[in-house]
Amino acid sequence: MAGRAQEFVEADNAEAIITRIEHKSRKIESLLKQSRPVEALKTALEGAPPKTRDERCKSATWIVVHRAIMAIKDVDGMFSSLDPEYYDILMKYLYRGLSTGDRPTCDQCLRIHEKLTEKAGLGCILRCLADTGNTV
Amino acid sequence: MANTLRLYLTCIRNTLDAAMCLQNFPCQEVERHNKPEVELKTSPELLLNPVLICRNEAEKCLIEASINSLRISLKVKQADELENILTKKFLRFLSMRAEAFQVLRRKPVQGYDISFLITNYHCEDMQKHKLIDFIVQFMEDIDKEISELKMSMNTRGRLVATEFLKQFM
Repeated sequence: MAGRAQEFVEADNAEAIITRIEHKSRKIESLLKQSRPVEALKTALEGAPPKTRDERCKSATWIVVHRAIMAIKDVDGMFSSLDPEYYDILMKYLYRGLSTGDRPTCDQCLRIHEKLTEKAGLGCILRCLADTGNTV
Repeated sequence: MANTLRLYLTCIRNTLDAAMCLQNFPCQEVERHNKPEVELKTSPELLLNPVLICRNEAEKCLIEASINSLRISLKVKQADELENILTKKFLRFLSMRAEAFQVLRRKPVQGYDISFLITNYHCEDMQKHKLIDFIVQFMEDIDKEISELKMSMNTRGRLVATEFLKQFM
């Protein structure tokens, strides 16, 4: 019942969220052109829609994050400048990338996954598995 | 190429390490029953998010966890029709002897070649890191076995064909 009410709220917000995501993707494109992939990734991960259940919002955000992840060349350098608060959400997106099955995406995601596990530990993975409320 | 295999196996090992936190949980619906929740999927609060780890388009690994059980399904790389048949036969041979392996599932999950089911009882009897070592070692060895089978089959086929066609020379 509360879920039903939430759906109506989200239908209105969905459009707002999608426009926000498009705005974000333009900012990220400009950051990538200036070769600042880590900033681009931070921007992409920041406004990750918290409780939206709309598939379009999630896929729109995923496309943006995917672009940022594929642009990263230096994984160790990335971790030195990425704040720990982004680790959990990055892990969720990595698993989403691994489920696509597309070879270059999976290669990149596997590379980042190994380093991220070393940094953030198994707790990060477990939070990603256990969070059934905010899937990405 | 070997590097992606190493990364793939490391990723699976880390995910299994995190997901294999199983405890005994008797069935909520039926008295005195104790069922692996990941198989039945009756109560969503007992299940964790399933995770799909793909190495490329052909190979993937699905890890589904719950409070008292963990299911790992593998899809093995099959380059051509011959490997397809060999993999199917070989893995069916293993699955039929699932009793001996204890953690093997008799039938693979739909869409995969082989499945493991690990319950809390297995974790109590056996060491967790050894179970994970077993799964990862299994994945490494499967590839080697299939290529060995394919090579021996090709050799045998070549020998048989040579002998058979000699009579026509």
